[in-house]
Amino acid sequence: MKSSPLRLIVSVLVTCVIAAASLAATYSVTAPLIAAQDKAAEVDALKTVLPEAVSFEPVDAATLKDAEAVVSDEKVDAVYRALDGSSVPIGWGIKVASRGYGGYINMVLGLDSDGKVTGLTILSMNETPGLGSRVKSEPWFLGQFLKLKPGYTEKDVKSLDTISGATKSSRGVRNSVIAAGLIYEKVLKQAGEIR
Amino acid sequence: MKAWLKVFKDGLSIENPLTVLMIGLCATLAVSTQVQGSVFMGIAVIFVLVMSNALIAMFRKLIPNEVRIPIFIVIIASFVTVVDLFMKAFFPPIYAVLGIWIPLIVVNCIILGRAEGFAYHNTVWLSVADGLGMGLGYTTVLVGLAFIRELFGSGKVDLFGATILRMPGAYEPPTILMLFPGAFIIFGFIIAFTRWLNQRSATRKGA
Repeated sequence: MKSSPLRLIVSVLVTCVIAAASLAATYSVTAPLIAAQDKAAEVDALKTVLPEAVSFEPVDAATLKDAEAVVSDEKVDAVYRALDGSSVPIGWGIKVASRGYGGYINMVLGLDSDGKVTGLTILSMNETPGLGSRVKSEPWFLGQFLKLKPGYTEKDVKSLDTISGATKSSRGVRNSVIAAGLIYEKVLKQAGEIR
Repeated sequence: MKAWLKVFKDGLSIENPLTVLMIGLCATLAVSTQVQGSVFMGIAVIFVLVMSNALIAMFRKLIPNEVRIPIFIVIIASFVTVVDLFMKAFFPPIYAVLGIWIPLIVVNCIILGRAEGFAYHNTVWLSVADGLGMGLGYTTVLVGLAFIRELFGSGKVDLFGATILRMPGAYEPPTILMLFPGAFIIFGFIIAFTRWLNQRSATRKGA
């Protein structure tokens, strides 16, 4: 049974058109929901890392660009100025991604006006479940970064423990903390934005 | 026995995709580190398998032989993307557990294998029965493997945020079970066990 070339072309074409149409339909239904959830997750994360803040406003594009310039391999997705009830800045929320074992680990870090880490949380990651995922499931690991003094250096962060069996994932988290410190020291502090 | 019931049962036992046909193993070894993830992975695979089997069986007379594989792949990839987007939109906590595993169902040989080996030559209802049987057979073995790996590899089994089973405190979990070598070893034992089961039921039938 041999089909004519025209039949081959038409059948593949029809299949693809129907598939594309149904995907477009699914996407248009789900896209706003997914975007809203991502946004909500980000706001939740900001509130977790900076519990005293009431609202968050993104910094201007130039500052964000400077922040991207001072970090090495990490991606800086957003920097927020955290404001308290009377619109006084009390700290910074930094959304940063660094390479772990299975791609980027997306994190949100909170720094107070002195540059001390007030909290950090992992938004999403693809680390190996049961091994790399322990950076999230074992609270002591993220908790130790809260003990860093204001103005901590790369060396301070690197002296902290990593999880055995999850070296690359731990390193990813550490790099994000180092990046946040650098952004604070070199950009946020010098830009004179802390009043 | 009714034909569809036999097809359904074969998927679970003597034609089990994992322990007998041994297809779709790479995803299985990667996913089976957590029971919870495995359960939802199984549900997603069952959905995609049943839907693609049904659709392909429905249009099997219209799909030209020469281009059947590209058409199968487009159909399968579409269903997987639909599952992916819906899970992301409506069940974000579950999606957070599964992550990359859902899109990877596209390259799971079980689905293409059943489309090519069964649905393309059989009626819609038989193909649905095959999809259900194969999907459940896959899920059973996957969850079983994940249960053993999670219990002995991490010392406890978590399901929906609650720990349902915990090893005694003195137990030091060997990390190898969470890694691929451990998965292979345990999977070998599971194959041996199911083979013994299938053989036993075969001799009983003969006697």
